[in-house]
Amino acid sequence: MIFFKGILNFLLSLRTAIWLLLSLLFLLFYGALAMPGGEAFQSINHLPLFSWIKENSFLDTWWLVGSIFVLSLLTANTLFCSVESIIKKMDKRQRLLIISPQVIHIGFLLMLLAHLVSSTGSMKATSAAYEGTRFDLAPGEEFIVKSISISLGPEGYVTDWRADIEHLSGGTKKEGYLAPNRPFFAGGFGIYLKDAQAYPVKAILLEIRREPGAPWAFAGGLLFMAGTIALIAAKIRKED
Amino acid sequence: MMQIMAFAAFPLYLFGAAWRPLLYAGFAVQVAYLTARGIGLGRLPLVGVHDTLNFLSASLIAFSFPLMAEMKDKKQFYFMLSLLAAAFTAFAFVSKPHAMPLPPVLKTYWFEFHVILSFFSYALFGIAAVLGIIYLKAGRPEEAVPLERIQYKTVLIGYCLFSLSMIFGGVWAYLAWGTYWLWTPKELWTTILWIFYSFYLHARLRQAWAGRPSVMLGIAGFAVVLFTYLGVGLLMKSSHTF
Repeated sequence: MIFFKGILNFLLSLRTAIWLLLSLLFLLFYGALAMPGGEAFQSINHLPLFSWIKENSFLDTWWLVGSIFVLSLLTANTLFCSVESIIKKMDKRQRLLIISPQVIHIGFLLMLLAHLVSSTGSMKATSAAYEGTRFDLAPGEEFIVKSISISLGPEGYVTDWRADIEHLSGGTKKEGYLAPNRPFFAGGFGIYLKDAQAYPVKAILLEIRREPGAPWAFAGGLLFMAGTIALIAAKIRKED
Repeated sequence: MMQIMAFAAFPLYLFGAAWRPLLYAGFAVQVAYLTARGIGLGRLPLVGVHDTLNFLSASLIAFSFPLMAEMKDKKQFYFMLSLLAAAFTAFAFVSKPHAMPLPPVLKTYWFEFHVILSFFSYALFGIAAVLGIIYLKAGRPEEAVPLERIQYKTVLIGYCLFSLSMIFGGVWAYLAWGTYWLWTPKELWTTILWIFYSFYLHARLRQAWAGRPSVMLGIAGFAVVLFTYLGVGLLMKSSHTF
């Protein structure tokens, strides 16, 4: 009983949050120093994070494993503190001041969830393509590069590029285009136009991505911002 | 003419440390320079150390305007702010301006908002650090306590803008590269900065950290800002090198 009470006190404490944040800072600080020189980190953006951790030595990954552990504790701490805060203060006035930090916390937790989902299920592949190139994304999902256009500036720099495409899915045809910052989404994948060359033949570099955490990250970001703006408004009103 | 404008803000800021109207003249010249450069380039001048340092310097002064009433008799505040703006402007002047056409991936509002919000937040964190230094020098509690409160408000708004900048950066990265997160030193340092200020905001709620310790965190945070912005950009290869 005393043991469980100890755990509950640990998870309900703001002091725990502070020390966890400080631990996370030190772990990430080590990682930020180790990363630029480490050969193992060359492949970190090409694999889902958990696969990368499995494939590499613990000497290279310990700070990430440690960060994940600290973030797990921080998640539990955030949940417990948020629930306690709402229960304790619900009857008080200034509800915006009580609710907004919890909205921020939910946003933060959704962003962590996004990273967790992406760390297991993300995928990336690249390929060169020319006008007329066909790809099979999945059975019954076909993708065709119809035409490529590249704009050059007066000094010969490539200023823009675009690829018109056709997507065939289960007998239906859909036309679209790819451009910088303008991906095409089909069958759970995002297709990105990364680079283009005009000579000797028109060619593009395509990247096919699956990022299952993206919707969670977006939802988390929206909640985080809504909570922060509400908190600032409430604090300023309180100070006035 | 552009060279003269780029340089002129430096002595104006420097002597603005002694006579405040020169500080505002320096700000006006810097805003005029950035506007002229933007018109010349046909885009917002936000790429490279030259442009972003000028933008940071102007933002520092711009965000001091709302504090004018509370800080009107705090000569030290304007003295330190002027020196900081002068140092950034001098460094900007010796940095080569980015004159090449923008890579297509940078031609998006997401990028512009991401950068503008980042530098607004850096400026607010800079102001918070200056307020912190004045707090430490202040003798009487009645003089120091309001400074700590203003520092907290400044950090809170800076943190909000910085979070928004990270969210905009994530959306842009997702549209440009297919992922909202890349493991590079710049992203890691940005996260360290964000966690540092999260730490400040939480620590300040506890009595043991309130007052002097949290003020010192507010000062130290700006060192992390400077390393995240200049240190990482100049010393390490990252997704933010264009």
